Amino acid sequence: MAYKPQFYPGSTSVGINRRKHMSGNLEKLRDIPEADVTAIMGHRAPGADYSSTHPPLKEMGEPDCPVRQIVAPTAGAAAGDRVRYSQWTDSMYFAPSTPYWRSYWGAINCKGCDPGTLSGRQIIEARERDIEAYTKTQYDSEMTDVALCSMRGCTVHGHSLRLEENGMQFDMLARTEMGKDGNVYAVKDQVGIPLDKKVNLGKPMTEAEAKKRTTIFRADGVPMCGAVGARKYDEAVEALHHMWELRSKWGFRPE
Amino acid sequence: MGIQAGVNGVIQMAVKHTKKLFIKALNKKFGKDFDLAGQKVEYKRLGIEQNARKREFMEYAKKVEGKRGMTGYNPYVHAGGIPMGQRQLVPYKLSGTEYVVEGDDLHFVNNPAIQQMWDDVRRTIVVGLDMAHEVLQKRLGKEVTPETINNYLEILNHAMPGAAVVQEHMVETHPGLVDDCNVRVFTGDDALADEIDDQYLIDINKMFPAEQAEALKAAIGKTSWQAIHVPTIVVRSCDGGTTSRWSAMQLCMTFIDAYNMCAGEAAVADLAYAAKHAAVLQMSEMLPARRARGPNNPGGLSFGFLADMVQTSRVAAADPVKVSLNVVAAGAALYDQIWLGSYMSGGVGFTQYATAAYTNDILDDFCYYGVDFAADKFGGFAKAPKTLDLAKELATEVNAYGMEQYELFPTVLEDHFGGSQRASVLAAASAITSAIASGHSQVGLAGWYLSMLLHKEGWGRLGFFGYDLQDQCGPTNVFSYQSDEGAPLELRGANYPNYAMNVGHQGEYAGISSAAHAGRMDAFACNPLIKVTFANPGMVFDWADIRACFGKGGAREFRAAGERSLVMPAV
Repeated sequence: MAYKPQFYPGSTSVGINRRKHMSGNLEKLRDIPEADVTAIMGHRAPGADYSSTHPPLKEMGEPDCPVRQIVAPTAGAAAGDRVRYSQWTDSMYFAPSTPYWRSYWGAINCKGCDPGTLSGRQIIEARERDIEAYTKTQYDSEMTDVALCSMRGCTVHGHSLRLEENGMQFDMLARTEMGKDGNVYAVKDQVGIPLDKKVNLGKPMTEAEAKKRTTIFRADGVPMCGAVGARKYDEAVEALHHMWELRSKWGFRPE
Repeated sequence: MGIQAGVNGVIQMAVKHTKKLFIKALNKKFGKDFDLAGQKVEYKRLGIEQNARKREFMEYAKKVEGKRGMTGYNPYVHAGGIPMGQRQLVPYKLSGTEYVVEGDDLHFVNNPAIQQMWDDVRRTIVVGLDMAHEVLQKRLGKEVTPETINNYLEILNHAMPGAAVVQEHMVETHPGLVDDCNVRVFTGDDALADEIDDQYLIDINKMFPAEQAEALKAAIGKTSWQAIHVPTIVVRSCDGGTTSRWSAMQLCMTFIDAYNMCAGEAAVADLAYAAKHAAVLQMSEMLPARRARGPNNPGGLSFGFLADMVQTSRVAAADPVKVSLNVVAAGAALYDQIWLGSYMSGGVGFTQYATAAYTNDILDDFCYYGVDFAADKFGGFAKAPKTLDLAKELATEVNAYGMEQYELFPTVLEDHFGGSQRASVLAAASAITSAIASGHSQVGLAGWYLSMLLHKEGWGRLGFFGYDLQDQCGPTNVFSYQSDEGAPLELRGANYPNYAMNVGHQGEYAGISSAAHAGRMDAFACNPLIKVTFANPGMVFDWADIRACFGKGGAREFRAAGERSLVMPAV
């Protein structure tokens, strides 16, 4: 019988969305041109050659190694690209993804990547052409809402702050802005350097849609523990209690 | 095993404990009529000029720049010309007090009270008197009586600040620079205590409630000890490692003077050995070479010792939350801001993390919610079973309550805008509740780790790489008794293997250590000698009200010791 990963427990929309993120079975909502994604990332000018840190693997005369024979290199590794990054800040007000679920998505679905997880940002590093492809997938998919999520290489402050009156996540460097036409535009790259031209990222999700697609438990959305006075635990909590208990007892080890 | 479910799996819990203590602080921060629950706001982007303290910094920087002929502080180099203040720069209310100060005022460089707290630790050494008395009596045949002890203490309080005894033509320290230095003695022997001149005695019966005094005297027994606080200016010029040397030198000279000894006789070596090693209690242990710090530096300070240094337990014993949270505040400033933030890391960011644990009454609200809930359910403090199930029940409830407050009050979330701030506060509330309810620090620690896991599960985020690593593998060390990680929480410290590098943990661990004993109404958490030593009325920092003293420091109302202005031209 073929193994079928279960990924995550729970029957709520949050549990279902978490499984979708982890499995990579994501809905595509928009199509940001590759050149625009490259510009926002800010590592190379769109159309410019990739910088490399070593010659293409085929030219390097690699040693006879069974692991190398089993694992095909990514396109970026094969070409010798340098390692670059994309980093996301997701609002706690029902952004579709959260740092850990972006990392789980990356670790499970993206070959040759190095995810890093913090509270206010989530970074994935990979060979440059690989990270460009992974970033476009994130930008285009339901993992991302263009008002509640943004790419921020530095000065990431904003995930836990109240939203702007127009529903945008706070960004002290104002890398994105709401246009009069209701579309969100990227005006600066990840580290806040102005772009040569604004990039139209499309319309943000409605609040209802964001709540439907989110992977965060919240008291005013899908609660994880019910409410004060009426606790009801999601299946994820039951699973977690079990894991915590076993970890604690394992540490005792009275053998 | 597990939490009991009611009808249809819904667990009924009382809501009466929700006090929302943080509302007052938030109104002070954001403005009286502010909508604390709104999820959207107009960001006015008023910049750095909106804040009085930042304006003061800029004005002063101009003077400095003119005086030294080179640039310095300039907030407009921040983020390529975009200064802080794109959101509202809000002040901070010291929890449990009325002090409201700017965030900058809580950086230890700007806060003399925080500095003095640390100075008071590292300038302190406890040295037993009994061993020296045995040398005098048994080896030298000298008579030791209350009269000779009082005479010795008078000489010692002359010599310890850095004054000469016995020798001619010596340099000495200016009494105005070292006026904080003092030595008092204490003992569990009431008869001996009665004979000691009041000015030289830490009177356990006066300083502690009766039950605590009895417990302390029983633990100390007939032994007698010197609570020595060398001058602050000495440890600020040298470091904590000098305290035992400075005190030992003055102790030996004083014995020579008080007991008419020969300065070179071999018995002096016994006195020196007792003063430097055999009868000494350092405030903290020496660290291994890779951390390269001597004794009486913060990295070797155990959580139990810090819990005992804080004196809230003798003035507010009926309120174990207050006791625990004053320990948390002391630890947040010492372990996070000074030890990890400066000794180990450098820079300014750690203050922002650490203040979450002692400002704006948020942690207070979460703790009182949990402890009231537990006391109702189990009939008081330290009455609940000391089990994993207890930690599971209380930590799950308190963590859920805390997360809900962050969700329902976006200004609370905004106040703790970093995930590691929230993680520390939620876990501390869960753990302090579990520890006070059970009277057991390991049960508290179990609650800490469960909170961390629940928090991450709920929001899909926690602190940062290493922070999360520590807490995700942490449950395995709660009940471990392996040699390098198996110590009870009271005996763990800042250099415990898994705790050595992460902000937002160590102060809280000290608070959990305190909470277990505060719940039990114990007189001390770990060491009775430390508890009594820091009851010395001659301390400069107010060890009974940590948070108020930090507030005084921030409000520029606190006078620290160790200043040099007496011997410098006026500014």
